[in-house]
Amino acid sequence: MDIIPQIIANSIIAGSVYTLIAVSFNLIYGATKFFNITHGVMTAIGAYAVFFFGKQMGLSVWVAVLIGVLIAGMIGWLLDRFIYRPLREKKASQLALLVASLGAFTVLQALIAIIFTSRFQTLTHGVGVQKTFEIAGGIITQTQVLIVIAALVVTAGLMFFLKCTRFGKAVRAVSDDNEVSKIIGINTDRIIGIIFFIGSAIAGLAGILVGFDTAIEPTMGLVLLLKGVIAAIVGGIGSIYGGAIGALLLGFVENFGIIKIASEWKDAIAFGLLILFLIFRPRGIVRT
Amino acid sequence: MSILETKKLTKRFDGVVAINGLSIGIEAETITGIVGPNGSGKTTLINVLSGMLPFENGSVRVNNAENLRVIRPRNIPLYGITRTFQNIRLFEQMTVLDNIMVVLTKRNVFSALFERHTAYRLKQAEDVLRAVNLWEKRNDLAINLSYGQRKLLEIARALAMQSDIFLLDEPFAGLFPEMVKTVSGIIKDLKDHRKTVVLIEHNMNLIRELCDHVIVMDGGVLLSQGVPERVLAEKKVIEAYLGK
Ligand SMILES: Nc1ncnc2c1ncn2[C@@H]1O[C@H](COP(=O)(O)OP(=O)(O)O)[C@@H](O)[C@H]1O
Ligand SMILES: [Mg+2]
Repeated sequence: MDIIPQIIANSIIAGSVYTLIAVSFNLIYGATKFFNITHGVMTAIGAYAVFFFGKQMGLSVWVAVLIGVLIAGMIGWLLDRFIYRPLREKKASQLALLVASLGAFTVLQALIAIIFTSRFQTLTHGVGVQKTFEIAGGIITQTQVLIVIAALVVTAGLMFFLKCTRFGKAVRAVSDDNEVSKIIGINTDRIIGIIFFIGSAIAGLAGILVGFDTAIEPTMGLVLLLKGVIAAIVGGIGSIYGGAIGALLLGFVENFGIIKIASEWKDAIAFGLLILFLIFRPRGIVRT
Repeated sequence: MSILETKKLTKRFDGVVAINGLSIGIEAETITGIVGPNGSGKTTLINVLSGMLPFENGSVRVNNAENLRVIRPRNIPLYGITRTFQNIRLFEQMTVLDNIMVVLTKRNVFSALFERHTAYRLKQAEDVLRAVNLWEKRNDLAINLSYGQRKLLEIARALAMQSDIFLLDEPFAGLFPEMVKTVSGIIKDLKDHRKTVVLIEHNMNLIRELCDHVIVMDGGVLLSQGVPERVLAEKKVIEAYLGK
């Protein structure tokens, strides 16, 4: 049997997960210029919210997913409002913001582990109940189809939003020059708050989809963050479509890289790609 | 009565005293020139007045806001102030048109969330871009404009703010004669529309042509002020420029 179609399918699926993280990371990075590590834990927050409301409370899946996405967004907004924004006002360095976000990441991850234990959990009720599709020789599950669709919709939606709406223009202005944005009357703090909400909600959605696809654990955010950030840097830090392109490239390189070697090498391949880009094209594919 | 006033304003950078106990008043609906040798604190003054730099001592009064000791950048539009920069600051990755549209955005973030431009806003943007002859360039990225065009776009952005007070930091520097005419026309027009203009400029002919009043700074202090004809002929002013 030819394995190439399946590898292509796997590449696209992985690339789509990374896309969700990378574009939302880049959205926030663009507006704030700081390395928001807490972004990773938003995936676990979304996933555990669905676990709680869907599986434990028994709400319908769609309602639970909606709540999960909103909670992730809300927590992102709160972090900005009560931690990052006060730090920005005090003109804290990027390093101080990074350390603060690392702290928030650790605290939130620990809270999830305390409330839900660190065991693996599933969001679905049984194994093998998912519908699968065969596309050109590759097998892809229903959840995986949703992951790909979500990545496409989110990327296209964000690009439209930034380019065509007035709010989007204000976001780009803030990303370009925060100080000048202020003196021309843009409420930069409000804009950044909304960006945190949107970006965190997208990360939450990614965590939920990963949860339905495989399983969830409190530390799931770290590896997703690393892959998303590698994709963001490879594609072009701060750029939406750069993030998407970087994510897709990372998905393909990882999955084609392990054709002949053990799949444990995936992460090493990802870091190898990152290092190659940092040396030869540090500003990423789209050169930001 | 002056619309903008500083009282014993002092701004230090580590060792350097860039503005030293400066007390000046800007009359409403006039054009005031600020001149002085390089490093005399002109740009720093505008940076302080536009909230981009904190100051240590003194106070500022603008429009009706009394005794400000802190000027927050986000309040600048509320005070009716707008400015341009000596080192041009545009939204580089946005089109010429969007550099204007973003100023015309509704202040309410939520109502702007999904809104696209209305015909009315587009017309406003068209007017200011035509005033600086950039309407034809509206779809170019700001970063791809020539130096002079960038300077003009920044002035257009300031016009779009529809403020009362315009602080212009060397708006003529590096412009071709054609463009100088455009900009001086705009400044005269602002005065005709009862706006207040503060203009930093090194070209004394332009100062004489445009300004009702001129303020001379040297080493962060007020050296002289008054009508251009008289002030620019003063011995100490000429010496400050030529070096003693
Ligand atoms: N951001 C800054 N940091 C440190 N020193 C500065 C800064 N801005 C201006 N200065 C200093 O303040 C003095 C006044 O500069 P500036 O206001 O730019 O003068 P002008 O615009 O009249 O040429 C100069 O000595 C300059 O070196
Ligand atoms: Mg200057």
